[in-house]
Amino acid sequence: MTRRPASLALRLTVSIGAVITLVLLSFGWIIERSIDTHFIQQDVDELNALVQAVAQSLSEPLPGATTDDLKRRLAGAISGHHNAQFRLSDSSGTVIYATITRGLDGFARLIPSADAINIDTVKMWQDKGQTYRGAAVQLMPTGVLDDKPLTLAVATDIGFHLHYLESFRTYLQLITLVACLIAILATWFAVYQGHAPLRRISAEIRRIKSDRLSIRLAPNTVPVELTELAVSFNDMLDRIEEGFQRLANFSADIAHELRTPITNLRTQTEVVLSQPRDAEQYQEILYSNLEEYERMAKMVGDMLFLAQADNNQLQAEQIEVNVRTEVQMLFDYFEAWAEERSVSLLCQGPALCVQGDRLMIRRALSNLLSNAIRYTPVGQAVTVTLVAHSDATVIIRVENPGLTINPEHLPKLFDRFYRADPSRQRTGDGAGLGLAIVKSIIDAHGGTITAKSAAEKMIFEIQLPRVSIDE
Amino acid sequence: MKLLVVEDEVKTGEYLRQGLSESGFVVDLARTGLDGHHLALTEQYDLIILDVMLPDVDGWRIVQALREAKSTTPVLFLTARDSVEDRVKGLELGADDYLIKPFAFSELLARVRTLLRRGSTPVLHDQLQVADLVLDLPRRRAQRHDVRINLTNKEFTLLELLVRRQGEVLPRSLIASQVWDMNFDSDTNVIDVAIRRLRAKIDDDFQPKLIHTVRGMGYMLDVSSGA
Repeated sequence: MTRRPASLALRLTVSIGAVITLVLLSFGWIIERSIDTHFIQQDVDELNALVQAVAQSLSEPLPGATTDDLKRRLAGAISGHHNAQFRLSDSSGTVIYATITRGLDGFARLIPSADAINIDTVKMWQDKGQTYRGAAVQLMPTGVLDDKPLTLAVATDIGFHLHYLESFRTYLQLITLVACLIAILATWFAVYQGHAPLRRISAEIRRIKSDRLSIRLAPNTVPVELTELAVSFNDMLDRIEEGFQRLANFSADIAHELRTPITNLRTQTEVVLSQPRDAEQYQEILYSNLEEYERMAKMVGDMLFLAQADNNQLQAEQIEVNVRTEVQMLFDYFEAWAEERSVSLLCQGPALCVQGDRLMIRRALSNLLSNAIRYTPVGQAVTVTLVAHSDATVIIRVENPGLTINPEHLPKLFDRFYRADPSRQRTGDGAGLGLAIVKSIIDAHGGTITAKSAAEKMIFEIQLPRVSIDE
Repeated sequence: MKLLVVEDEVKTGEYLRQGLSESGFVVDLARTGLDGHHLALTEQYDLIILDVMLPDVDGWRIVQALREAKSTTPVLFLTARDSVEDRVKGLELGADDYLIKPFAFSELLARVRTLLRRGSTPVLHDQLQVADLVLDLPRRRAQRHDVRINLTNKEFTLLELLVRRQGEVLPRSLIASQVWDMNFDSDTNVIDVAIRRLRAKIDDDFQPKLIHTVRGMGYMLDVSSGA
């Protein structure tokens, strides 16, 4: 069992929603990154200011001062900077001065650089519940500490920034989520609205019933994308309406064709029974009835055959059938009858094989031949010509001289109960189902049949898929 | 010859019984599938005519039960359903022949006789004779009243069929299928023409007339019915 495909609205909503979500997420990420970078830059500026301040205090000579004096000056150097810490050490790593004594192990890991601090040289670490960002630089003091190179590590507590970032991120996520939801809902609504023409067409189609097959969709009132659908739907309706009409006519024809013999039977029987008669007369009426029954039974049989063909229930056996042999057999069968009508039978062409049901093909050819013989004037000939049209097709042409039939009537010859001449009813040539049966047999074999008429000649041409004969 | 007819349709059953009885058979009629099933398995019959569509036990089940009981009694199906699968199913289950309703009684009779004859080994004659008509089978020649009659191949086959089944009414459809292998009805009167021509050769100049038309049913070759 194949699964039913997901609904169009769902598919569109999911794919558009996914795209919007992706866009919003990357947008949020970019905003977050840029704010983060902005804060780092701020920190870097702060750190550079610190370095500047410390360097300033080390550049003013302090002759004869004690270490404590220096420390005091250093402590005052960063008085305007909250949250800032620094540590000054000499080249051997001995701490000269540090703003705090604990929780600054991170200082030890910093690699000092000669230049000013920038985004790439700052590091971030956590210590004792505080988060710091810091860096280290080399300093050359002038006039203090014997002018030996020093390492200055500075750090600033960025907890406040982080806190702000954290709440901003939460806020951003919330906004993104809400925006996504709104976008998806809006998409779904738009898609639903977009399908409105479909629902309208569907409502229109629902109005079509078997008794209102004339309703058609108007292709110019639907969106361009649906025009083709509307047009093909209308074409389908045309075909259905035609088939329906034909079926309705067929049923009416059946009723009509059966009504005549039933009326005959009934009237005859009533008349005969209206007064006592002798046995011979009863016998006569029963015989006459018998003939009528036979005709009806044959008609019912033919109609059943056609009904099966309509329902694609004709199960054509697939064997190789030599058409020439079949024609010859049929000639044998019709010979006496044709001779009595002074009609000769001719068969031309090579032995050709088709794939199919021997009995059905014989029946089709028999109907065509009996038809041809019936309408051939005395003294003339029915000709069957077999042609190998190509490797793939066999043409069987049944040709007889006779009346020229108006071309507009030709396709109707294969209609059920159709008679070119309405007055020719019931003169022993069946119920007018013969050619319809031929057509359904040929159709069931994947072939075609056409009727042509010109210059007092009637030609039926059958094309059937060919089977090559193994010599 | 004893036949069993299983048919639930009252009128059809009654006419089948009457027709077959008048044709010289002893007929048991079962009106339900259950009765038919019981009779078929307990009594001895030469042939069973079964309607497929029965309200209780359908014809297929009866023939199945019959074949399971190793009975070889020939079975002829009557069916109103003309589909290939139905036919194939019936024949696969062991039916010997089938007829589609509506059928001609003469056709049924002819089929019944064919089935009954099938059991007995046919006697291979070189010669068939009816009154003064003699058929030389190996040479495919006919003569009447010691006069040689020229027949075409098909005419001889037709005459042979009539002679072999003398006294039986042969429907046109049966003649068409036996002589020309045409297993469908044709709108034409081909058979009538063929019989007329055969008649002209073997009956016109001789007495008694052998080939008789049975109106509305078919043809029969017979000596006694001098109609």
